[in-house]
Amino acid sequence: MMMLIRLYNVSKVYPNGAVGLLNVDTYIRQGEFVFLVGPSGAGKTTFMNLLTRQVLPTQGQVIVDGRNVVRMRPSEVPYLRRAVRMIFQDYKLLPNKTAYENVAFALRVTEANPRQIRARVMESLELVGLAWKARAYPGELSGGEQQRVSIARAIVGDPTILLADEPTGNLDLDTSWGIMELLLRINKRGTTVIMATHNRSIVNGMMRRVIELDGGKIVRDDERGAYRREADHGMVLPG
Amino acid sequence: MRLTTVWYFLAEGWHSARRNVSLISLGTIAASLFVLGAVGLILMNLNHISQLLQARIEIRAFLEDDLSPEGVAAIRAQIQATDGVAQVTFVSKDEGLRRLRGQLGEHAGILDVVGENPLPDAFDVRVEDPDCTAQVAARISRIPGVLSVNYGRGFTEKLLATMRLVGVAGAAVAVLFVAAVVFIVGNTIRLTVISRAREIEVMKLVGATDWFIRWPFLVEGMVVGLVGAAVSGLLLFAGYKVTVRYITGLAPFIPVITAPEPVAALCITLLIMGVLMGAVAGGVFVKRYLRV
Repeated sequence: MMMLIRLYNVSKVYPNGAVGLLNVDTYIRQGEFVFLVGPSGAGKTTFMNLLTRQVLPTQGQVIVDGRNVVRMRPSEVPYLRRAVRMIFQDYKLLPNKTAYENVAFALRVTEANPRQIRARVMESLELVGLAWKARAYPGELSGGEQQRVSIARAIVGDPTILLADEPTGNLDLDTSWGIMELLLRINKRGTTVIMATHNRSIVNGMMRRVIELDGGKIVRDDERGAYRREADHGMVLPG
Repeated sequence: MRLTTVWYFLAEGWHSARRNVSLISLGTIAASLFVLGAVGLILMNLNHISQLLQARIEIRAFLEDDLSPEGVAAIRAQIQATDGVAQVTFVSKDEGLRRLRGQLGEHAGILDVVGENPLPDAFDVRVEDPDCTAQVAARISRIPGVLSVNYGRGFTEKLLATMRLVGVAGAAVAVLFVAAVVFIVGNTIRLTVISRAREIEVMKLVGATDWFIRWPFLVEGMVVGLVGAAVSGLLLFAGYKVTVRYITGLAPFIPVITAPEPVAALCITLLIMGVLMGAVAGGVFVKRYLRV
């Protein structure tokens, strides 16, 4: 399988001295579904923000889909972000726009062909099962539904990579599994999915590649991993 | 750029301008541009008046008595050949007396007391550049056969100095008010950036280019500048009309500009300036606050 993402000895130290990542050397293949686990402050979000160039590493190189993220010109960044989409714990939907408009917004700002926008937005909303709520505002939707809209927005431009930063962090377990099902479906269509999470039962139930970070370092990388090895011995609080 | 995109920029800019511009900031912009325009009008009028006056500035070179016609012609040729001279007209002593009578008006009787025509023959000399009047006059005075020269010494220099002073003061005021307008528009843009922080964040995340994010703010700046300029332009145009009527009633000899075209041109210039300043402020400040 093709290497889609490659991190060469990447470190990120923030101006205040906080360590984001420390000498991280890893790769992610095309079509993979990868969990990033680890305690808060372990570097999961830094890892993701490096891939969309929201932060630059203080050392090392980051290659995403053949592009050198560190050396790219600022004018190339928007095009990177069209290929690498993110979803968040707090959804980041625009409250004054309907579900449809929120999804269409992602296409409109990339100056997509207006004649295609409607079809593609509806297709995305159908995929997440919310076509019937296209006219609802985020405030009228449940947390799970809002996350589905944000997923629809992320995939409407057919991204190569989908980064999910604690997408189930605000959702109950049933709803979370619904979101996971959706992410798996998107993964099966060929999109590489990287998901940072604290949700032990989801990680353990999916049996996918798990990269564990701690203090900015990769401390574990299992092809079919669990949330924590210690979890089997009941050393981790349920969460 | 797609038409729908252009439409999107215009709509976004217009809506956020309506949302974020307060009457106070719009009023301040209009007032600043109004003062700017008023300074412009004063300068235009001074320029108009000075041009009229400068057209009248002539050097009069009086000739010695008892010159032969050939001698007069020779002096004429010499004056004509002097640097900076545009035009030379002969004024005979009789013609000079007639003009003097006209200028004295009801006091012309004094000339009858004098009896014989006291004036010598003279040349009226028009110069190419009013700034050089003094030098040209000095050169002419050195020509043999020229008795003396007279060119309204002092008045010319004073007029030109006043023009320059008003010009410099006007420019300083203009710079001040341009800065004020740019600052106010910039502040409006800042409010928009703050109120739309989330939207901008999402735009960046889904891969909007910097210019795509910036354009609506540019449009917003232009809208704010345009509306402010339109208000001040209308006030200025109407205000000038009233002022001119007042001045011409009070002091009809002051040759103020009465034609509407140059005033309208100034108002349109103001409008264009408002739009440009708005665009500049929008572009500069959005870059500063956005960090795209």
